[in-house]
Amino acid sequence: MKRKSWIQKQGWIGYVFILPNMLGILAFFILPALFSFGMMFTNYQFANPNWKFTGLDNMTRMFGDDQFYKSIKYTVIFLLSVPISLALAFLVALVLNRSVYLKGLLRGMFFLPYISSGVAVAFVWMLLFQPSQGPINEVLRFIGIVSPPGWFADSGSAMYAIDVVQIWFMLGYNMIIYLAALQEISTEQLEAARIDGAGGATITWRIVWPLVSPTTFMLLITGLIMTVKSFSLIQAITGGGPSGSTTILSLFVYKTAFSYYEMGYASTISWFLFAVILVITIIQWVGQKRWVHY
Amino acid sequence: MKRKGWLKVVLIATLAASILGACGSNGNSNGNAGANNESPAGSSGEKVKLTLWGAVPAEAGPQAVIDTWNKENPDIQVEYVRYVNDDPGNLKLDTALMTGQDADLYINYTLTRLQKRVDAGVALDLSSKTDYNIDDQMGSDAAQWKISDKYYGIPTKKNMAFIWLNKDMLDAAGLPIPPVDWTWDDLREYANKLKKDKVYGLLQHDAAFTATIDGTIAGLGVTKPDGTSNFDNDLWKKQLQTVHDMMFADKSTPEYGEQVTSKMPVDTMFLKGEAAMLSAGEFIFRNANDLTNFPHDFKIAFATIPKVTADQKDYKYPGGLGDVLSVNAKSKHQDAAWKFAKWYADGGMLPMASGGRIPSSKSVDGKQAMDLLLKGVEDKYDTESMNKVVFGQFPSFQLSVPQQALDARKEEYEKYFLNEQDLDAALKNMAKRHQEYMK
Amino acid sequence: MIETNKNLSFKLSVTILMLIAGLFMIVPFLWMLSTSFQTPSEVFRQWFPSKLDWSSHKRIWTGSYNFLPYYINSLKIAVIGTAGAVFMSALAAYGFARTEFKGRDTLFMVYLSMMMIPPQVVFVPKFIMFNWLHIYNTHWALILPAMFSIFGVFMLRQFFLSIPKEITESAFLDGAGHFRIFFRLVLPLAKPALATFAIIDFSWQWNDYENALVFLQSPKLYTIPLGLQNFVLENNVDYNGMMAASSAAIIPMILIFLLGQKYIIQGVSSSAVKG
Repeated sequence: MKRKSWIQKQGWIGYVFILPNMLGILAFFILPALFSFGMMFTNYQFANPNWKFTGLDNMTRMFGDDQFYKSIKYTVIFLLSVPISLALAFLVALVLNRSVYLKGLLRGMFFLPYISSGVAVAFVWMLLFQPSQGPINEVLRFIGIVSPPGWFADSGSAMYAIDVVQIWFMLGYNMIIYLAALQEISTEQLEAARIDGAGGATITWRIVWPLVSPTTFMLLITGLIMTVKSFSLIQAITGGGPSGSTTILSLFVYKTAFSYYEMGYASTISWFLFAVILVITIIQWVGQKRWVHY
Repeated sequence: MKRKGWLKVVLIATLAASILGACGSNGNSNGNAGANNESPAGSSGEKVKLTLWGAVPAEAGPQAVIDTWNKENPDIQVEYVRYVNDDPGNLKLDTALMTGQDADLYINYTLTRLQKRVDAGVALDLSSKTDYNIDDQMGSDAAQWKISDKYYGIPTKKNMAFIWLNKDMLDAAGLPIPPVDWTWDDLREYANKLKKDKVYGLLQHDAAFTATIDGTIAGLGVTKPDGTSNFDNDLWKKQLQTVHDMMFADKSTPEYGEQVTSKMPVDTMFLKGEAAMLSAGEFIFRNANDLTNFPHDFKIAFATIPKVTADQKDYKYPGGLGDVLSVNAKSKHQDAAWKFAKWYADGGMLPMASGGRIPSSKSVDGKQAMDLLLKGVEDKYDTESMNKVVFGQFPSFQLSVPQQALDARKEEYEKYFLNEQDLDAALKNMAKRHQEYMK
Repeated sequence: MIETNKNLSFKLSVTILMLIAGLFMIVPFLWMLSTSFQTPSEVFRQWFPSKLDWSSHKRIWTGSYNFLPYYINSLKIAVIGTAGAVFMSALAAYGFARTEFKGRDTLFMVYLSMMMIPPQVVFVPKFIMFNWLHIYNTHWALILPAMFSIFGVFMLRQFFLSIPKEITESAFLDGAGHFRIFFRLVLPLAKPALATFAIIDFSWQWNDYENALVFLQSPKLYTIPLGLQNFVLENNVDYNGMMAASSAAIIPMILIFLLGQKYIIQGVSSSAVKG
């Protein structure tokens, strides 16, 4: 109650904090977005001055497009990488926060993929996943799998291989954000728990995990959004192939917009994507009360 | 203290940024080179600045070209901007063309791209230019670049794609240089005889992978008489089957998946003697002539990209003309740009011959271009097959199929070469998906 | 607390284990370095250069490849853009986390939803707008939008929210205004988060290829990602040059990371306030 009163006293001040940012968001995000919303109902092709309103044609085309449905499937597989990478990153951050020597060096090593040259990342992973002599399949054969998948040379398994690379790639990024979150947990809290006789696992699960839950929530939401939008890694490794089997929705949008110049159609797919992620985000937002502790 | 210092840096930087941001927008419109551009072109004594966009790296010839021009034409200075001829690179060019600033001349590499620029109204219609006869200067192949019977650019160079042969290996296997009308069956036999442990019979560069099926469809017609897609024709079936057999039965060429997933550097491999034949374009000359970085002592001979069957009628060879130089219809200096374009096409581009770009204009002395190309490395090539194939005349084509259909075609033949669908299904799907993009 | 021998050896073995995992993380980095010292005919054919060939590293700083202008342009854009993004995001994040006003949560949802639009479909309107603002083909076309980071607002909001309310509240009761609380209390406490966001945002801007591609036209304005395209030749790629340039390009990101890490570790001591 007391809190409400002092905040209410300066109700207008919130706008002052947000206004500068809001102007930028309005100019560089919202206005262009509205424009692209309009494009959805046209057959506008980039650079072509001849266009007309086509109503819902783009939507009809989208729902009749085999490529679209395939892309949705690949996108869902791609999104599997988000929670896995988060979980791994949390563990790595825990370890690198306390229980190792050479913290700085190790953190740097784990973050390096995130800033490495995409070309180098693509090439190295292609070698690792090489179907006939690659080390990954060598290991699989060694443990008794007679015909391991062809990975990037096989449209059935290519998307899963991409997932592995994506998890590896995002690990360092998620890790450093978790590390920042872990810094906010005070030593006293942990010591108190330890004195109470709690073990390492209990402390992690009962104290640390809830304390970083706002960060987890943020990483989960932005991770889903950014993963749905990102394709540069895929572009560098497979270019969407083999035979289209790694063409996730964002890559499909990219090709439609940048190769075929079909801005109207690309906008339509984008706004479909937008609607889906928005629903997911709202569900998460409502659901956060159950597990996010501020 | 420390804490405050850190905050101060952020604050000052932000402030500086927003102030600079406000000035920057003004500063640019005054200080930019655009000031020159906005002055009317005709007024005498004014210096004109032109920008030429092309996909060849500057040091591979274009820089030498414009240096020569700039020396001879102090009143029209040309700057070269290099764009990468991929999707983003072309998008960049198209964006620049729309502004009409700093993009006065540009070179097109495919008919579909040129078509888009014509639609966008950024390619100057050259049919009104009476002082330059493209058909006359460039020969009959130039007409393949006409759009609705009009020229929107000058095709400036001879396009070439062929099979590069390691002549020493052919000699060792007792094989003669193949005749110009050889077929894929012949090629397959050659590859079989030439393959050895760690030496492939044939490598195919990405850029030439579809050369034969493209040349076939160019002769057959993209559609059947009834208007449906011709992507399921028997000649394609035979050619794809042959390549598939070479991959999996003969093992004389790398398996598709293997080649793609290991990013095989096919030109390096050929020059290192790890393959007897290489299907690729003239762009290999640059590395093949570079004996420091790619040392090799064998002689290189040439063969045409084979046709599918001996009795195949109307097969077109990849070639014809390329590098189509257009003037931006939104440029403020079209006359100056046109002057440059004519000069470029009629010999100005010669320095690029060393990289394999042989000018197509009849005003250019062919011998001079060839000397530039082969200077110092004449003994590395077999002259006879070179004259016959590289500088020979063959019926050629420019493919005009929507990019979507070509991408769909690739997806389907990829599935076939990865053994995920059989050939008949692949052809059926190609035709079906092509059909969807025909309107 | 005194570490026992058992703890010591545990810590040591965990370190070794993580080092092995860490090696796995840096293979592409090593490949990049190795390729930059190879000759063209060695690329993709062998892991290590036969002998250290410095020519690619020399080449990228001289002649037509000269990388220095790209480097300076990138530094300018990424430094100003990141500084702006950190400050602007922190400001708005505080507004969303520590003040209350009508429509706050709806507005935040609008923010979040704007993250979901793929950049490829908004580049046409942005292009038109930048042309109108006369910032197309200037660095401001990259810097200005970069200063507004939705991700930054969200991330910092979450961190500000987990600062105990008692701290800000008692300061308020002592008569401090929101700005004072923001600058004197919240920003210092959130140093690890600010530093982390700066690291990430810097790497995004440093590697931004698409915006630079579309909004920069004159070669003299090009940034590193555009400069790297110089090594994409017509039908093949000059991997030696590209990897030499990429090796040089990664240095500022590593420096920023190390600098940021210092603040993250420093944050440990200051976080004692909490609890």
